[in-house]
Amino acid sequence: MNVFQQDPVDYYGSRFLAVLIVAGIALVLYSLIRYRGRAAGPVPWGVLLAGVAVLPILVTSAGTVLALQRAERVEFCASCHLTMKPFVDDMKNPKSGSLASLHYANRYIADNQCYVCHTSYGLFGTFEAKKEGLHDVFAYYTRSFHLPVKLKHPYPNGDCLKCHGESVKWLASHADFKDQVFSGELSCLQCHAVKTPAHSVALLK
Amino acid sequence: MELNSPLSKRLLIAAQVLALIVYAAALQFLIHTTGGTLFVFTTAAPVLIAVAMIMLGGVLVHHYRRSHSLFVFATFEPGQIVFRQGDEGDCAYFIHSGEVEVLQEEGGKQKPVAVLGKGEYFGEASLIGSAPRNATVRAASRTRAAVLGKDNFLTLLSLMPATQEDVMQRVKERAMKQAAR
Repeated sequence: MNVFQQDPVDYYGSRFLAVLIVAGIALVLYSLIRYRGRAAGPVPWGVLLAGVAVLPILVTSAGTVLALQRAERVEFCASCHLTMKPFVDDMKNPKSGSLASLHYANRYIADNQCYVCHTSYGLFGTFEAKKEGLHDVFAYYTRSFHLPVKLKHPYPNGDCLKCHGESVKWLASHADFKDQVFSGELSCLQCHAVKTPAHSVALLK
Repeated sequence: MELNSPLSKRLLIAAQVLALIVYAAALQFLIHTTGGTLFVFTTAAPVLIAVAMIMLGGVLVHHYRRSHSLFVFATFEPGQIVFRQGDEGDCAYFIHSGEVEVLQEEGGKQKPVAVLGKGEYFGEASLIGSAPRNATVRAASRTRAAVLGKDNFLTLLSLMPATQEDVMQRVKERAMKQAAR
C-alpha cells in the first residue's frame, strides 16, 4: 500500500494507540519500581490511576475504533476463515479470470475486498456478516464443515448493486432486465457465474 | 487492613500487572491484527480493566475511609499485629480496653520496648511527622481501641492546643526513651 492509499483512521489511529500503550507501560513500570505497591499521597495515586485506569480505558476505546477498521481487511478475514485461503489466493491471482480476481486486479474494489462483496449495505449488514462469520470460525475449529465450501444462502443481488446499481454503463448494458435484477427475480449469478464465476470453479473441487 | 498493608500492596501490584497484560494485548493487536488478537483485545482486555479498577477502587476507598475515620472502634485479638514498623501511618489508636506491646526491630529481631494499656494511645508520631511507623504494635491481650484517622487527628490537635501540647510532650518523651536505648 503506497502513501496515497493509506487509510487516515488506521494511519493516525495506530500511531495514537502506540503512544498510549507506550505511555501506559512506562507509567505502570515507573509506579511498580518507584512505589512497589505503596500508595500514599496524590502523586503515587495519580500515577496509579493514570496507568491502571485512565490510559487502559483510552487504549481500549481507541483500539475499538481501530479494530472496527482493521476487521474489514482481507488479511483479517483470512486469519480466521482458514478454509477460504484458496479463495483469497484466487482473488490475488491475476491469471484466474474469476470475478473476484478481476475486481481485485483492476482495483474496482480498492481494498477490503472480502468485506465489500460479502457484507450487505448498512450496520446490520456488518452484524449479519459477523454473525455468519463466527459460525464459520466455529465450524472450522470443530471440523464440522464440508468441502467444497459453498455459500450458505444465494448470493444477494444487493451486494452487487450497491456498487453497480448506479453505474451509467451498467444501467445501459442491463436496460432490458434491470427491473428483474433489482426486484431479485433474476440473480446476477445466473449469467455471470457461467463465464466468470465469483471465485475460480477449479478451487471448489 | 492497614494503609499499605501486605494485602493492600498485593492488590495494587496485581492491578498494575493486569494493566500490563491489557497493554500487551493491545500491542499484539496493533502489531499483528488477526481474529485471535482482536478477540483477546476486545473481549478479555475490558474484563481485565474492570477487575483492575475494582481492586484499585477498593484500596482507594479503604484508604480514604481509614484516613477519615472518626473514632471507629476496632478489636484486636491477642498476637494480632495492629501495624508494622515502616508502614505508612494513617491513623492513631486510643486504647479502650486490653494491652498492646510495642516492638522495635534491632538487627532483624523484634525487641519489646513498651506495653500500653487502657487510656493510652499510640500511632500518633507518624501522623505528626508524616513519617513511616517507627515501631510494630501487637495486641498482648484482646484489645479494643478507638481509631482516629490522620485528617481528623490533626484537626483535633489544631483545635485543642492543650491536647496538642500533651501529645507533643508524649511524642518527645517516647523519642527520648528510644534514643536512650
